[in-house]
Amino acid sequence: MIVASSKPFPEIKQMLSGFKKVCVLGCGSCVTICHTGGEKQVAELAAQLRLAAKLEGRQLEVIEDSTLRQCEWEFIRDIQGVVKDCDAVISIACGVGVQYMAERFPRIRIFPGLNTTFMGGPVEQGVFWERCAGCGNCIVGTTGGLCPVSRCAKSLLNGPCGGSQNGKCEVSRETPCVWHQIYDQLDIQQLLATMETIVPPKDWTTGMENHPRKMVLEHLVVKK
Amino acid sequence: MTTTRTCATPDKKINEEAPCILACPIRQDARDYVQLIARGRFNEAFRLVRERNPLPAACGRICTHPCETKCRRNSTDAPIAIAWLKRFLGDNFSEEPGRAVSERYPEKIAIIGAGPAGLAAANDLAILGYSCTIFESNPTPGGMLRMGVPTYRLPRVSIDNDVHCIQKLGVEIRYNTTFGVDITFESLKKDGFSVVFLGVGLLESRTLNIEGVQLEGVLKGVSFLHEVNTTGRARIGKNVLVIGGGAVAMDCARTALRLKPGRVSVACLESRKEMPTTDFEIEEAVHEGAVLYNSVGPKRIIGKDGKVAGLEILKVKYVFDEQKRFNPAFHEGSESVIEADTIILAIGQASNLTFLRGQEGIQVTRGGTIIANPATLSTSVHGVYAGGDIVLGRGTMTESMAQGKKAAIAIHNTLRSSALKDEKWADKPAVPDVAASKIALIKKEQKQEMPTMSLDKRLSNFDEVELGFTLNAAVREAQRCMNCGAGASVDDNLCVGCLTCVRICPFEVPKIAKGNTTAYIDGDCQSCGLCIVECPAKAIRFKTPMEDCGKDALEAVFQEKFVHGIKPFIVNFYCQYSAYKEGKESATDDLLVFHFRRVGVLGLGKVEPSLYLRAFELGAHGVLVTACKDDTCHFCHEQEWIERRSRFTSQLLSGLGMDTRRFRTHFISSQNGKEILEIAFDMVEELRHL
Repeated sequence: MIVASSKPFPEIKQMLSGFKKVCVLGCGSCVTICHTGGEKQVAELAAQLRLAAKLEGRQLEVIEDSTLRQCEWEFIRDIQGVVKDCDAVISIACGVGVQYMAERFPRIRIFPGLNTTFMGGPVEQGVFWERCAGCGNCIVGTTGGLCPVSRCAKSLLNGPCGGSQNGKCEVSRETPCVWHQIYDQLDIQQLLATMETIVPPKDWTTGMENHPRKMVLEHLVVKK
Repeated sequence: MTTTRTCATPDKKINEEAPCILACPIRQDARDYVQLIARGRFNEAFRLVRERNPLPAACGRICTHPCETKCRRNSTDAPIAIAWLKRFLGDNFSEEPGRAVSERYPEKIAIIGAGPAGLAAANDLAILGYSCTIFESNPTPGGMLRMGVPTYRLPRVSIDNDVHCIQKLGVEIRYNTTFGVDITFESLKKDGFSVVFLGVGLLESRTLNIEGVQLEGVLKGVSFLHEVNTTGRARIGKNVLVIGGGAVAMDCARTALRLKPGRVSVACLESRKEMPTTDFEIEEAVHEGAVLYNSVGPKRIIGKDGKVAGLEILKVKYVFDEQKRFNPAFHEGSESVIEADTIILAIGQASNLTFLRGQEGIQVTRGGTIIANPATLSTSVHGVYAGGDIVLGRGTMTESMAQGKKAAIAIHNTLRSSALKDEKWADKPAVPDVAASKIALIKKEQKQEMPTMSLDKRLSNFDEVELGFTLNAAVREAQRCMNCGAGASVDDNLCVGCLTCVRICPFEVPKIAKGNTTAYIDGDCQSCGLCIVECPAKAIRFKTPMEDCGKDALEAVFQEKFVHGIKPFIVNFYCQYSAYKEGKESATDDLLVFHFRRVGVLGLGKVEPSLYLRAFELGAHGVLVTACKDDTCHFCHEQEWIERRSRFTSQLLSGLGMDTRRFRTHFISSQNGKEILEIAFDMVEELRHL
């Protein structure tokens, strides 16, 4: 899932200054699961906006709404009736949702309420860790199923750096060294010998160095 | 909301109902009126009781309360005192005057007998819009309630108060009018009555066919009670023996004790456990001095000079045979004698159908009761309905009332050719017993004791023995309620399967069922509300609108005209568990009265942080949260979550540039008045300077 964190409220307030009628729009998918873009957070952000306006003596009308996914035309079309009369929308979807809204409603200012951060999941209730960097060429089949690109602070491909100690990354005592974990996985799987193989330099053009990327499934394309 | 999300499908489990509601013959909303009492909303609770129960004060005293037998708190400690809470309402609250009757129909309904069945039928028919006249052969209403139940259990003023509410609906009661003598089916018809309901009750004592029953000193139980209840006196000897093990027998024994004989005993076929009355009544009889002889059967009454001298008894082998039929057998040769100079027969009640002699042909059973259709209570004669003990044979007060209520609907449907239905009678599955694995997670809470008159005092008079709950005790007792069947429910269309509720529930109730991707919450929900607040999709809500989690109360605070001029004005969200204070706050609470408004919630785990922000938006200068400490918390697990929410709320306020001293949380019982005052004083002084 996509994990995003809430923007600091002062930043949000600054973005919305001068607007009189604002919609707080949630997304019922990834950001609901990571507790930053669900209906609960819509209510909380709306409450903050109303209170901030009251404290500053401003008039502000805040509308609350949510859609199942902000990255589907059909779903955001359904909320046109809600947002068409608004001056601005603060979208608390991931960056994808904000852009879909902006493309769909060019006459309305669309602002992001979240900072989209990574792809990951909950490791424990309320704690989310990155697990994928979207590099475009997955190698976890050779590393015991654990990804060194996203989980190694340096994205090293041929074992740990010299700073790994007691299973912890030198960048943070909190962060486990993924190569230490990979070693343990390969040991369990009796595949330690594969670590002897030198992995050549990675072709980064399949990944974050090559924007924007596109995927086409010819058998699904429907011309309209 | 967008169209893709507005269609709400109710949770599949929503049809499970609280066992206390299903166990009640009249389907009283026990859980709900108890929950209203727990919130201090007594008038609403009374209204809810009265909606289905025309005799709340009487019922709250002498009902056999099967609701308590089925109470799910039996698994954890002790059942809620549902009947006594009803009595608390019936004694202290009353109907608003002039309850509206929406329709008026021309037909007149005659009701024979002002007992529970007749009163219930009249009450419901009057509400439906009919003119009802009750014909009662006695000079006062109540039937067996008045004639058979002693005043130390059911003061007459309680019956009068209940009946008065029924009369305010327009029901007329004509006393000293005997059916079969003063009025007949023919005369009623001539007087314009369209329908007759027979609710005459069982006013005779069943007799015992053994040697010696004709001796002087043998009394019939019902007659004995009737005499004492009407005159306050009865002729008994010094050594009284009551035969029978039911409620009437206990009443006879306790009544006899108040007449100060030397000794009172009770002999019955049943063992102690099999006795067909409540433990409470047995214990009270023994406490007052009655001696119990269990598992003995009467063989003959021994006489001397034409008077009772004792009862020869046999040891009981069994009371019910292998087919569970009443068929007592005795050990041969086990004869012994209980000495007595008065014997009271309390082995059941019987009907007296002489009033039907010469009337049209109404079918009766061999046992002497009237045959009535169980669904409609109609008899074999068109336009004649019957209910109560005269149909049941041996029913309870609430079973009689239930028949009166059913008859009322049937009469209405017949007269109007309609199909009105009381949805409360619909069969529903009960919330299952508390799962064994959950019992340890639910807090055990001390049952409130009913204060009783001291032993020496009570035997000197016929005043009521159980003194009734104080307001404080009633609220505390009600707060033990687990709100069965009205807890949280997941809307499948909104749930995204994030597992938050599964992970955070302290009672381990939400689950992801095999083959499902959304959560569901079953009847073990304790209504703490943690999952409702934490659900990021707002897919969980309470099944009952009674649970507003503080929203309505907060809006109501700011409806007051004067609060906007108060500086500083502080809203105090407090936990209603262990918070109730009887009577008005003392003079030293002036500070609280002026600067504070309180919003009480049964468990602050139900309150979401955006509600605290709403308080500031509405005009509060400060918000004070006073939550229970863990050891006094009803749910045992809320303190941690309230702390988290408090930190989160402070972050939200901080992001707004507000001073976080405007928001305070303390873990303290609201009954600790002195400490609360200190906190309040500090907060007022601090906010004055911000």
